[in-house]
Amino acid sequence: MGTQRLDFAEFYRDVKDECLFAVVVSVGDRDAAQDLVAEAFARAWASWPAVSRHPAPAAWVVRTALNASISRWRRRHREVPVPDLTLVADRPAADGGVGGSVDPRIMAALLRLPARQRQVVALRLFLDLDTAGTARVLGIAPGTVQAHLGRAMAALRDDLIPTRQEPQS
Amino acid sequence: MNDNELITVLREQRGKVPMDTPVEQIIRRGRAVRARRRVPGVAAALGAAAAAAFAVSAALPVSHPASEPHAQLAAWTVARQADGSIKVTIRELRDPAGLQQRLRADGVPASVTFSGQQNPACQGYPGGGSQSQRRQLLGSVVTGPATGRDVMVIHPAALPSGAGLQINALFRHDPGQHGSLEGFSVGLVQASPQCTGS
Repeated sequence: MGTQRLDFAEFYRDVKDECLFAVVVSVGDRDAAQDLVAEAFARAWASWPAVSRHPAPAAWVVRTALNASISRWRRRHREVPVPDLTLVADRPAADGGVGGSVDPRIMAALLRLPARQRQVVALRLFLDLDTAGTARVLGIAPGTVQAHLGRAMAALRDDLIPTRQEPQS
Repeated sequence: MNDNELITVLREQRGKVPMDTPVEQIIRRGRAVRARRRVPGVAAALGAAAAAAFAVSAALPVSHPASEPHAQLAAWTVARQADGSIKVTIRELRDPAGLQQRLRADGVPASVTFSGQQNPACQGYPGGGSQSQRRQLLGSVVTGPATGRDVMVIHPAALPSGAGLQINALFRHDPGQHGSLEGFSVGLVQASPQCTGS
C-alpha cells in the first residue's frame, strides 16, 4: 500500500459520510447518491495528486457527484428526479444504528427545499464550506449563496420548530 | 430554537446516512478510470458513460470470459439457456434493431439502443414503486454473475406483466466505430408497439 493510497484512504474515511449526506440532501435518493459519491471518489482517486491539493477536496467530490447526477438525469430525461423521502429517512444506519437513523422530519424538511437551496445547505452546513467556497463550487455569486441560505433557514425554521414545540397532551 | 440550535440539529444528521462502499472498491474503480484516461480518444466518451456504467457494473459483475465460443462471430448473440433464461452477448456497436427483434422473438420485449440514445416512445414502468424497489425488481430480471461485462442474462419469467426492458449499451468509442463495451444501462419500461415493437 503506497503513500498515495494511504492518504486517499484517510481522506475517504474522514469525509465519506458527510459527502454522502450532502449529495443525499441534494438529490433526494440515498441509493443514487451512494452510486454518485462512489464514482466521484473513484475519480478523485484517479486524479488524487491534483485533488489532494484542492482547497476543499470534499467539495470537489460533492461537486463531481452532483455534475454526474445532472448528466445522468439528462441521459434518462424521462425520470423526473423527485426526492423520495422513503429512500432516505426510513433506513437505519448500516452499522446497526450508531448515532441512530436520520430524523425523518428533518430530512423531509430538507427535501422540501428547492434544489438550489438544498445544495447551498449541503455545502455550507454539512461540508462546512464558507460562503465564498460554496459560491465557487456552485458557480454562483456569494450574495446568491447567502440569499439561498437565508431562505432555506427560514423555511426550515417554519417547518421544524412548530413540530418540535408541540405541547405534550 | 434559534438559528444556531437549528444548525446544530441539522448537522447532527450528517453521520446518520453512512457511506458503506469499501475504500478498496473505490480504488479499484479509480484504477479503471485512470487506465482509460491513458487510452487516446477514450477520455471524452468515458466522461459521459462512466457514472451509468459504474452503477450498472455493480449489478452486473464483470470478467470477460476468454473462452467465449462466439467471440469472433457476430456483433451480438442471443442464446436461450437450459433454465429458460436468455444470454445476451454484445461485442460491437451494430444493429440494435436486429437485437431488439431477436429478443422479442425469444419472449423479451425490449428497446435496445447504443451509446446513450433512447427511444422517446418508451415510458418508464410504473409498477416498481421506489427506485430501490425498481432496482430489486430489475435485479430479478437481469443478472450477471459469472458473466463478462459484455454479457447479460435475462430471465423472461421474472418480467412483470406489461413490462419490457430498456437496454442501452455504453461503448467507449463513438457509434460506428468498433469500440469496447463500457457497460449496460438497463431499466424497466412499459412494453408497447412504439417502444418495444410488435
